[in-house]
Amino acid sequence: MPSNGDRDMAILNVDGVDCYYGAVKVLENVRFSVKEQDFVGILGPNGSGKTTLLRSISRALKPHRGVILLNDLNIYALRSVDVARQMAVVPQETSIGFNFTALDIVLMGRNPHLSRFQTEGAKDVAIARRAMERTGTWHLAERPVNELSGGEKQRIIIARALAQEPKVLLLDEPTVHLDINNQLEIMDLLRELQSREGLIILAVLHDFNLAARYCDSAILLKDGKIVSAGSVDAVLTSENIKNVFQVEAIVKRHPLTNYLYIIPISTPKPPLSRNLSVHVICGAGTGTALMKILVDEGYNVTAGVLNVLDTDYETTQLLRIPVASDAPFSPITEETHRANLEMVGRASAVVLTAVPFAHGNLRNLEAAKEALKLGIPTFVIEDIPVERRDYTRGEAKKRLMELKSKGATFVRNQHALLAILKVSEDKLRVARALRTEIPGHLKPETTPYEGGVVDDVKSHVGG
Amino acid sequence: MSVAGAEAAYFRRASRWKLTIIVLTALLIPTIILSLNIGFAQIPFPTVLRVLAKQTPLLGGLVDPSSVSGVEETIILQIRMPRVLADAMVGAALAAAGVVYQGIFKNPMADPYVLGVSAGAAVGAALAIVLGIGFTLFGLSTVPILAFAVSLIAVFVVYNISRVGSRVPVTTLLLSGLAVSIFLSAIVAVLQVISGEKLHAVVFWLMGSFSYVEWKDVWATLPLICLGTAAIYFFARDLNALALGEETAQQLGVDTERVKKLLLIFGSLVTAAAVSISGLIAFIGLIIPHLTRILIGPDHRILLPTSIIVGATFLVICDAVARVIVSPVELPVGIITAFSGGPFFIYLLYKKKGSYAF
Repeated sequence: MPSNGDRDMAILNVDGVDCYYGAVKVLENVRFSVKEQDFVGILGPNGSGKTTLLRSISRALKPHRGVILLNDLNIYALRSVDVARQMAVVPQETSIGFNFTALDIVLMGRNPHLSRFQTEGAKDVAIARRAMERTGTWHLAERPVNELSGGEKQRIIIARALAQEPKVLLLDEPTVHLDINNQLEIMDLLRELQSREGLIILAVLHDFNLAARYCDSAILLKDGKIVSAGSVDAVLTSENIKNVFQVEAIVKRHPLTNYLYIIPISTPKPPLSRNLSVHVICGAGTGTALMKILVDEGYNVTAGVLNVLDTDYETTQLLRIPVASDAPFSPITEETHRANLEMVGRASAVVLTAVPFAHGNLRNLEAAKEALKLGIPTFVIEDIPVERRDYTRGEAKKRLMELKSKGATFVRNQHALLAILKVSEDKLRVARALRTEIPGHLKPETTPYEGGVVDDVKSHVGG
Repeated sequence: MSVAGAEAAYFRRASRWKLTIIVLTALLIPTIILSLNIGFAQIPFPTVLRVLAKQTPLLGGLVDPSSVSGVEETIILQIRMPRVLADAMVGAALAAAGVVYQGIFKNPMADPYVLGVSAGAAVGAALAIVLGIGFTLFGLSTVPILAFAVSLIAVFVVYNISRVGSRVPVTTLLLSGLAVSIFLSAIVAVLQVISGEKLHAVVFWLMGSFSYVEWKDVWATLPLICLGTAAIYFFARDLNALALGEETAQQLGVDTERVKKLLLIFGSLVTAAAVSISGLIAFIGLIIPHLTRILIGPDHRILLPTSIIVGATFLVICDAVARVIVSPVELPVGIITAFSGGPFFIYLLYKKKGSYAF
């Protein structure tokens, strides 16, 4: 594992390496060591020095400072043929001059094992054949390599590397040209080589999920420096990903495979501030997409009441949305309900999503009713008919109809809602100012929106 | 061919390679003997054979000395023999250098002249002819000596312009070769303008000709060309690895920069040696490697020897044609190589254009 201790067991040591392209420093004080039978993923954004690191380990770019030791020998002091007998490299892209056949290319992997005038013998051809069988390319042996598809060619190049019979295998995004099935096949093969033959594998990978699934350890680079190195679990955290890629990501362990999986959320834009609050009453994932869009559009979003562990709850945590929440699987308590109402009171608009209703969350309908009572424009998204999500034998439906009669606006989907919010923005702002800034006794008897916003709403949704 | 047979086919290929070399060599020798029969003076073919037999240790005694006239013997042994051998040597050298440069540069337009060898040699030869510099060195005349010397100076300059520390990037090499060649060509143009009645000699040299080749020229260049091409063959497998790119070749155990440097040196040496005795023969160093690659494949271990033999044979034939096609006038051989090789190459490209990839 890439760590500073345990030097005796390690066979590849990268010690304090600085690399430059001209005057530009690309790697700075990179230091790690890799032991036998380790599969290391090198991760990082474009231009973070991943390929440079691989090139410097593969003896193609001499570091300005620091050493790279293979079995305690400085690789830049060895002859290239001695390094080639132990280390093979699969570059990101190989352009092959001339029309060599696939077998010719794979046999070139035997080059470091042959003396100057020795030709490839039966043993070499057998090794090449085995390498090609393992990569599923033996049937292409006599085809000119430049006529093969990108994926086939990449597998030929990997076979060539295997024919070198290396102890260390370096790969620069080995699966970037491949379909998903080929990706998994190649990664499975690498994993097998690593575990069965004790190979050290260092691979630059773009795909976190591949890295999480196949690597034992990972090195995370940013601006030529190691940000984090260690076991995959320790490196692939949402904090590290945010720090290095400026991307929010959900990192979880998949229940089926038990591998970590990473879902990047889009890069947060500097939010437009609309200075309008929208309270979302949701649950069971019905509010996730809506909350994300509202946040992206610059609304101040609050949510409630949600149970902890609910998908919508997790979304609020990720998006840092204030939320009124209760314990998992428990009905809404009086206390939380009141917290929810407080949020409702501060909102310029309230949205009720097509959440399934059971007795545990009926109180959320009460909260919506309260919003109407306070004169807050309230919207009900009805993309799923209430009959299909009512687990209260009609109670929920009854209350929903009540909301309608009290002036709640029903919309078909979240796009319709967003359109209305956008158009009525100024009115919502004025209405809120009226409600909060004008002393109570001056407030009009009826809600000011019945003739205003809600009419707009009706004309938008066509009803 | 069946998949299971790929291994067997691979080993069959090795024996096919041997056969190819044997057959092509077997064709080169009769070509050389036949071309001794071709020239301005009409000498019957049996006489040619008798002259050759007379020179051969064991057969010498069997030939009746009176059946061969002194003049015929002189024409064949002192005029045609060195000339035909020079044809073969120059053809071999240019083809070998062409293979090397196309391999190093991974560029189908590369030929033995890319590094400025031709332009340098032209300056040297034109200087010698126009200024009438007359000295001899080891019995060689001024033209080949100056051509050889200036061409190596040109390559040395090109190489050092491109060098970055201990590395020589091939793109820079190609471009500086071009730049230096253009500059040197301007010098040649100036020399041509002021050459007066010597213009004919300069132009003839620039187009390539074996008219003035003597034994001493052959002896002077033979070791250079033989050792140079042998040294190039030493790196045949490295040239294969270089087809995957310099970095990959390095990772396959090839000491890329050193190999590249040595190949450039040997390639330039054999080219300079060839050019010094024949002048600038266009086309052959470009086309022969391509032609051979189409016929036998890209593996340099077979491509190099095959190109050498094919190049030698081709130039022997072209020069024989040059001697007699508009007899009694002799054409520069470069014209014949272009006239005959061009259409043949176009035909091959046309037939194989789908499957030939550089």
